[in-house]
Amino acid sequence: MRRLLASPDFRAGFVGMLPACVGLVPFGLVCGVGAASAGASWLAALGMSAFIFSGAAQILAGQMLAGGAPVAVIVLTCFVLGLRFLMYSAAMAPHLKALPGRWQQALAFLLTDQAFATAIRRFNATDDPRSGAQHFLGAGMALYLCWQVTNMIGFFAGNVIPAAWSLEFAVPLCFLALVAPLLRDMPTVLAAVVAGMAVVALGGLPMKLNLIAAGVIGIVVGTIADLARERWMRR
Amino acid sequence: MDATLKLWVVILAVGLLNYLSRLSFIAVFARRSMPPLLGRALQYVPAAMLTALIVPMIAADPAAGHAMAFNPKVAAAAIAGLVAFFTRSSLWTIGTGMAALWLLQAVS
Repeated sequence: MRRLLASPDFRAGFVGMLPACVGLVPFGLVCGVGAASAGASWLAALGMSAFIFSGAAQILAGQMLAGGAPVAVIVLTCFVLGLRFLMYSAAMAPHLKALPGRWQQALAFLLTDQAFATAIRRFNATDDPRSGAQHFLGAGMALYLCWQVTNMIGFFAGNVIPAAWSLEFAVPLCFLALVAPLLRDMPTVLAAVVAGMAVVALGGLPMKLNLIAAGVIGIVVGTIADLARERWMRR
Repeated sequence: MDATLKLWVVILAVGLLNYLSRLSFIAVFARRSMPPLLGRALQYVPAAMLTALIVPMIAADPAAGHAMAFNPKVAAAAIAGLVAFFTRSSLWTIGTGMAALWLLQAVS
């Protein structure tokens, strides 16, 4: 363990992630505030950040809990939101194939949007899977620590932030920061626009079912547009 | 169901499903490759799902008043969206978005 923590790859990964951690501070704070307003105890708030470890899923679960949605609907909606991890997992798999099982299990736990973006770049740049894995572990642990600390600060300090600051607006801004850079091709733009219109149009559905319905409709429309574009370009 | 119990059931179930999704192709289906149609559909999960989360948070509640009334959150989100598109930086996005909202709320 000590040798691992001293390895240059681990350290480079840890230090290299610190600037991105600064960018996540507002998101972590808002997640902590969201847990507090969903009525969580400090232990449950820590449980959310430590075990779910996904800002979008934490916010979504908190809002749906506060809105009185049943457990099954909350879990299902968060599952659809988390389907993107399947994509990350498949892209990461060839790089982790040669590693022992416990490395794979540990790194899978740390596979988030930000860690994935960094790790995949690193793996593509190096031939040594061990070096890439140590770098990934360092980056993932930096993110994990930062996430727990900022969530806890948000949980305890959230109620001293004046309501006039409209801090709750930071939540859609965090999501916008993830979505807007993706809108560079037609199928993705269509998926987003259709999902955005569907969530409003289906606002009358009970139990916040409009979220999952709009998400699925957007995914289907994006996929169809993608297939159509490919067929059109082949002609 | 008791509220505390419900919260913990959600934490454990969502956490476990998230972990299994993360582990899926790394360990569970390590010998299989991603079916092409599934891979294609998954590309659209973030755009569709996150937009479905964003829109209700910034759109005006029709019950609250005039649907056509100026909504500073929509304007601030549009500015922040442009910043995110060009800078790809979450810090800049949140910074400009919050500043725009405060400014628009102060003048409107």
